[in-house]
Amino acid sequence: MGELDADGAPVNALSMRVRALARRAGLALTVIACALFGSAHVGTTDAFFDGMAGPFPLRVSVRMPGVIPGQAQITVRVLEGNARQVLVQAAQWNVGTKGAPAPEPAGLVTGAANTWSAPLWLMTRSSYMVNVTVEGPAGRGTVTLPVVAQSTSRLGMDRWMGYGLATLGALLVGGLLTLVGSAVREGGLPPGEEPDRRRRTRARVATSVAAGIAGLALLGGARWWESVYATCERYMYRPLASVGEVRGGATPGAPATLRFRVVDSLFFSARQTPLMPDHGKLMHLFAVREPAGDVLAHLHPTRVDSASFDAPLPPLPPGRYRLFADVVHESGLARTLVATADVPARGDRSAPKGFSSAGDDAWLAGGPSAGDAPLGDGLRLVWEDRGPFVAGADTALRFTVRDSAGAVAELEPYMGMGAHAMVMRDDGSVFVHLHPMGTISMAAQERLLRRERGDTALHGADQPTPAAGDAHAGHAADVRYPGTLTFPFAFPKAGTYRVWVQLKRGGAVRTAAFEARVR
Amino acid sequence: MEARSIPAALAPTAEGSRARTGAAAIPWPLAATVFAATSIIVGLIWDISWHISIGRDTSWTPAHMGIYLGGTLAGFANGFLVLKTTFRGTPAERAESVRFWGFRGPLGAFVSIWGAGAMLTSAPFDDWWHNAYGLDVEILSPPHTVLLLGILFVIGGACITALKAQNAAEAEGSGRAGTYRAIFAYAMGLLVTMGALAIWSDTRPYIGRSAHFYLYAAVPFPLMLAAAARGLRMRWPATTVALIYMLVFAGMGWILQPWPATPKLGPIRQEITHMVTLSFPLLLAVPAFAMDLAARAVAKRGATLQALAMGLAFFAVLVGVHWWFNAFMLSPLSHNPFFMGDHYPYEASPQSSWVRGEFLRLERTTADVVRGFGIAALVAVVSTRIGVAWGNWMRTVRR
Repeated sequence: MGELDADGAPVNALSMRVRALARRAGLALTVIACALFGSAHVGTTDAFFDGMAGPFPLRVSVRMPGVIPGQAQITVRVLEGNARQVLVQAAQWNVGTKGAPAPEPAGLVTGAANTWSAPLWLMTRSSYMVNVTVEGPAGRGTVTLPVVAQSTSRLGMDRWMGYGLATLGALLVGGLLTLVGSAVREGGLPPGEEPDRRRRTRARVATSVAAGIAGLALLGGARWWESVYATCERYMYRPLASVGEVRGGATPGAPATLRFRVVDSLFFSARQTPLMPDHGKLMHLFAVREPAGDVLAHLHPTRVDSASFDAPLPPLPPGRYRLFADVVHESGLARTLVATADVPARGDRSAPKGFSSAGDDAWLAGGPSAGDAPLGDGLRLVWEDRGPFVAGADTALRFTVRDSAGAVAELEPYMGMGAHAMVMRDDGSVFVHLHPMGTISMAAQERLLRRERGDTALHGADQPTPAAGDAHAGHAADVRYPGTLTFPFAFPKAGTYRVWVQLKRGGAVRTAAFEARVR
Repeated sequence: MEARSIPAALAPTAEGSRARTGAAAIPWPLAATVFAATSIIVGLIWDISWHISIGRDTSWTPAHMGIYLGGTLAGFANGFLVLKTTFRGTPAERAESVRFWGFRGPLGAFVSIWGAGAMLTSAPFDDWWHNAYGLDVEILSPPHTVLLLGILFVIGGACITALKAQNAAEAEGSGRAGTYRAIFAYAMGLLVTMGALAIWSDTRPYIGRSAHFYLYAAVPFPLMLAAAARGLRMRWPATTVALIYMLVFAGMGWILQPWPATPKLGPIRQEITHMVTLSFPLLLAVPAFAMDLAARAVAKRGATLQALAMGLAFFAVLVGVHWWFNAFMLSPLSHNPFFMGDHYPYEASPQSSWVRGEFLRLERTTADVVRGFGIAALVAVVSTRIGVAWGNWMRTVRR
């Protein structure tokens, strides 16, 4: 499970066996269903980052393996400056770099300028810090990226491989039976003699017995395989069970609340670290109306009890909404919880078309823009490169905000960021919350660095430093971002995606929707 | 048991000419297969050591190369021997061969070829397994079991080839019998080492006062040692074979430990600067000696009674010795280059029983303990019974 200290995540024969034993012996060694803890985003655990490592601007992608333990592939593109060497290191969150293998040089990718790549070995299903260090004439810089290692995929066996292995297996079993027969029939014969009837009969009996034993062994092997598969399934990532509901608002004029409730008892596991605010909010809740995806709301519920989060319900058109709730744990583990909620028709309160906002909560009722998206006040959002995109390929979603004169507009910080983007596959199987710095959680990044400095701000002691708090909450009002936005990303699979972009100007959050086709 | 009365068996026979014929070089297929078996065992111990000190590996680590070399050599040498016997064999060679799917060759050659085939089959299976269920996390997994079975057969083939030479030399009264006996004992020692490696995670000192330890030890060792006791014509066959295992196992540890190594996987919880070894072997020679003594006492009885005596003698002495030896291995007294008792894998938690030098008791109640040890003793007897049957058959092998 994500949070678990590595004691719980078996990495070697020792712990694996002893744990199995302990379970059998009924000992209270804590082995908790690791998989039931979630991962950041839905449908992909890959991480993308745009930012600086000291003097070097970088674009980093971390392609996560389908199963843990496994190898992730990290690719680092140094956008400016002459990098001499790029070092990478993956460290499990709770042991930090002290308990991690030394940083290792990444290899230069042939055919791609200033691009370096290396495998990262992720041995436990947990939160990891990935350190990228760039060295060059301009100096040396390191950046830490939080990633979440989870088992997410099942690997089927290719048909031909299956046939091949079955053939080899049949040959081995046949060979084994022949060997037993030969050994009994002829093994003890003095040279030159032919086996008599008695030996032949004994050989037949021995072969039959061996066939029985081999059959039992094969059955046992199949059972064993099934149990490994079942264990693997158990450790597979699954979102925590959650429900959404609309409370109140039945009578005209009464305020309504959207409640998001985690009903999974694993959420209360003692080995689970507490939640911490990301961008100044404990939860980022996205509601998308089904099936068309024609309404999006980005809300920030506050915690009313240990498992319930309430947000005032904005005037949304009625219908069934898919809810995606992003939270970050103090271990650095970011996860997305999934639920649905039915929003009733609400008498007097009409649901206006277009975008609106209240504080940091913002919503949009309307389908994707075919061309530039109007942002009001003469502003428009231009998608510079609409694809088509290729599934799995590193790409960037590039947008420009232009004012009525066509000039690039300046943006105000929206929760500490120049802009936010949400990407959802039309069936809801992929949902990712992006920033110009990528998919990573800044709160997780900051927390991992604090732990690394020896600050054990774990279990409830979460008090963001003033500077960080300000940056996240977007209180630094004098900060301005240029209206050129780049979100590094890779669409995990082919299909039709909805892309929403949110940014702030004139004190109002403005939301635009687009459609992306991915081959 | 008459064979045991041949003293050391290195004395030349009366027939000088025959002795000279027998004294010809060891047949190359035997030499090749024994070398292959050695290469595999060395590679395997090195590989496990690699996994607990460095962690990360590729297909091409020297340890893996040792295993590949052994498998390939065993497959090709014996394959060549079979082809030669089948198509170009002399009448004498064909006369002492067995049939297998239209081919002819010595039984040991086919056994080794089967082992090489199983090793080969396990490779793509294991690769897929890692992709499907995660990188290496345990010694015993289904594909590794196929691999270990293959290795067992390669070494088993070496045993049978040596055995055949031993039995033939004895039948002829040749002076080479002693040499073949020694080679056979060595191959059996490798087989026992293989068995010890398969159950290594389950026989570490900190679980050494739980029935689990003895249950796992009761599976391979009584079988192999009883087979040696019945099939190897030496004065102290089981003891000798157990000593060879201990020497190979400890020797590999002594050789590996001075080499620098740092972990390349995390989380790292132990400060590792040099290769972590598999620590000191089990004191198998002592229960094996008890088995040898019991075997003498019941030599003229039926196989099941033999198994009962030998198996119980082995098990009782195993428990008696290891109950205390495990405590020694957990204590700081074993933290030295000879016993290597402080060789913890890089990720062993400082809070774990092992590192803290405490026993981990896996049974909760006295009834569990009694039941556990009872089952283990029963398994030891059954394992011995199979070993006796196998050993009796081995005495007859001529092809």
